[in-house]
Amino acid sequence: MKERAFIALTNGFKDKLFRLAKRLLVSQEEAEDATQEVLLKLWKNKGKMAEYKNVEAFAMTMTKNYCYDKLKAKENNNLKIVHSNYKDERPSLQKQVEAKDSVDWVGKILDTLPEQQRMIIQLRDIEEYDNTEIAEMLGINESAVRAAISRGRKKIREELIKKHNYGVG
Amino acid sequence: MELARIEKLLDKYFEGETTISEEKELKVYFTGETVPSHLEKYKDLFGYFSNQSEVVATRETTLPKQTTMVRYLYPFIGVAASIAVVIGIFMSIPDPDTTQVADTYEDPEIALQKTKEVLSLVAQYMNEGKKDLVYLNEFENTTNKLIK
Repeated sequence: MKERAFIALTNGFKDKLFRLAKRLLVSQEEAEDATQEVLLKLWKNKGKMAEYKNVEAFAMTMTKNYCYDKLKAKENNNLKIVHSNYKDERPSLQKQVEAKDSVDWVGKILDTLPEQQRMIIQLRDIEEYDNTEIAEMLGINESAVRAAISRGRKKIREELIKKHNYGVG
Repeated sequence: MELARIEKLLDKYFEGETTISEEKELKVYFTGETVPSHLEKYKDLFGYFSNQSEVVATRETTLPKQTTMVRYLYPFIGVAASIAVVIGIFMSIPDPDTTQVADTYEDPEIALQKTKEVLSLVAQYMNEGKKDLVYLNEFENTTNKLIK
């Protein structure tokens, strides 16, 4: 496969990989590293590309695994997660997108969810994959996906109602 | 009517039973202007989901380039080929000087003599060689026999 064809193919889902990585790793930089790493691996195995049923789903799975490894390594080393983007000094796109404080609150709630729920909400509510696709990407069955969606959404609702009632920001 | 439907969709949504298209409908509804106050809190939720699908990496991803040798030499392949073609053309043009006959004998008589000698020598060898060709007549005879 030629470089141009590869880029055209991966451009279709590259940002989704990045957003999934960012959802899991939180840090912008680490998510960018993850995206780069996954695309590099895909590029190196481009000969096998035709064998994959669904390159996008495959890449998503790779991203998930990469992020899990990263998170595990962090846990083991007992490292404090270092984010440079807690306070965003750069007037980046991210800032524009997350400008509204109350909207940002949803992101904060989302980040408190267990990894799997967080990832599934990301894939379903933001990337709009259906449950079958998510099940394939994560290697779990569909009913587990549905249960996680419901649990995650209810948790978010609970927090939103709490915030709404007390007005805490 | 609309509101009742949205509330029903919301219930389904939190049970994880909505379809993708129903969820899109919710997103559209809650990013719109007219949301009743008791549903206001969900505006943030669906607004966030819609916003997040536009987040992109700020850094471009890069692919490793091809192996260096091929990459550096590739532009010169064409140059090398054209040089080879030009050299080839010049080599194949015969040198005009070598085709001219040089005079080696002063006296035409001697030249005639020598030429005759050489030609008779050639004829002699030719005739010697031709002797062996008699065998070919044998072939001729046999084939004629068979064809007949």
